[in-house]
Formats: sequence, structure tokens, C-alpha cells
Amino acid sequence: MSAPAELPPVRYTPDQAALQRFGASTRNPHRIHYDAGFARAQGLAGPVVMAQLHGCLLFRAAAEWAGDPGRVVSLGWRNRAPSGPGAELTVSGHATPAGPGLVRLDLLETGPDGAAHCVGYAVVRTG
Amino acid sequence: MRPALWAVRTRALELLGRVEHRSLGPVRAAEARRFAEAAGETDPRLLDPARPDFQLHPMYLVSLLRGPGHPRPGELRPDGMYRDEVPGTDGLDVLLMAGGQDLTWHRPLRPDEYVEQTRELVSVRCKGRAPTQFLVLEVAKRWSTAGHGVVVEATETFLVR
Repeated sequence: MSAPAELPPVRYTPDQAALQRFGASTRNPHRIHYDAGFARAQGLAGPVVMAQLHGCLLFRAAAEWAGDPGRVVSLGWRNRAPSGPGAELTVSGHATPAGPGLVRLDLLETGPDGAAHCVGYAVVRTG
Repeated sequence: MRPALWAVRTRALELLGRVEHRSLGPVRAAEARRFAEAAGETDPRLLDPARPDFQLHPMYLVSLLRGPGHPRPGELRPDGMYRDEVPGTDGLDVLLMAGGQDLTWHRPLRPDEYVEQTRELVSVRCKGRAPTQFLVLEVAKRWSTAGHGVVVEATETFLVR
């Protein structure tokens, strides 16, 4: 395993426009992602980032570490807390060997206050 | 357990093991590029369809809720989500949350391949105690193409309160 054991942080700040575009491209019309009044009526602080968008950031961290998106074999995550548009999300993690030619990456996505939004893992091929 | 939650549980148990099929249609490079941009992707191999090493973003397929076209009248709940997205919940006064996903890729998807999806509710669990009981529904999904088999498999978890 020649790549560093600690993953370089991957960051993204999805704004409301990004949520609109992400929702449009995935054909996701759920109002909690774009309707602030509706989201608040559901007990949320406002519109929330899509679960799959969080997954994309975890995927990006794994792919960047592996050097090729095609080397990501599996990915999983659990949602811990919602995040809203305008909040910077940071994925960190560390790598451990997971068998011949495979590495497991344990991943954590946090918000600006350091609170966890997602915990996850990826398995990547090393070559 | 609240009556609405009990109704979800009853319906969901009846749906266990029933396999649904959906067509997502052909997956276009330009759509996957727009998806990658919205997701904050920076890898040019996922952003530039003109590159010889362009790849459809692997997360695009598993994030797509439907194929091309607008929702049909009556297809959406009042909250905007598709009525059948979370099994057993249509029309009931419950709150839905995405719990997480586990994905395994078997091969890359190529532009313009025609994708079919299967969905199957595989488990229904009650968690917590009244008055904070909730249900955990697990749905197994598989995306495949006619000529080249399975592309990716997933287990998605929904929390119903």
C-alpha cells in the first residue's frame, strides 16, 4: 500500500443552486430539498442536502485516494445528521489493507462545526 | 405503535420478497456530466465526455430515481416524493428519512446503455420503544443492462417514523 494511510480531506459546499441541479439531474422532486417552508414544517432547519449527494462526496474521497473512479469497488454510508445548503462538508478517513489488491477506507463526513453528517466506508482496488 | 406506523408495518410485511421492475432508459453522458458538476466532482474523467478516458459517474445510476420524463399526475405524494419510493408508506402520515446505502459495483456503465432496475423489500424491523418507535425498511436494488448483466447492486435503508 503505497498511498498514504490518512486520506487528504475532500471538501464541498453545496449551495441551493447545486441542490436544485442535483435534484433535477437525479429526478428527485422531494420538497425537503428545495422548499424551505415545507422543510421547516417537517421539523428541519431548512432544505437538506440529498443523501446521495453526501454519498458522492464519500465516493470522491475514495476515488481520489485510489487514483481512479473505476477502482472503487464498494461504498457504504449511514446518515447521522442532516446538513443544509451553504455548509461546507469535509470528508476525512484512513486506509487499511483489506486483502490482496484491496484497501478499506473508513470515511467520516463532518460539517463546519465538526459534527458528523455521515459515517461510511469504501473498498478500492489498488491496481 | 402509532396506527399509521402499524399500517406501514402491515403493508410492508405483505410486500416482502415482491420484486418490482423499473426502466431507467438509456443513460446519457451529458446527463452524467451535469450530475457530476452538481455533486462538486473535480475529476475531469467524470466531467468531460470528450475525453477518451471519460467515465459515467458511478454514483449517477444509483442516485437516479426515475427514467426520462416528468412525473405522471398522481404519481407524487404531497411532499413531492414518488408515492412508491418507500414501500408501504403511500398516503400515511409518517415521516421518512434516508438511513444509508451499501453499494457494490460489478462493472462500469457505458454511455447510452439501456438500464433496468429491480427493487425488492428485504427486511422490516421495529426499533425503539413507544412513543419513539420507528421502522427500518431495507430495499435491495439491482441495476443491469440487457446485454451485459449487472452493473451495480445496493441495499438502501429507510427510516419511517
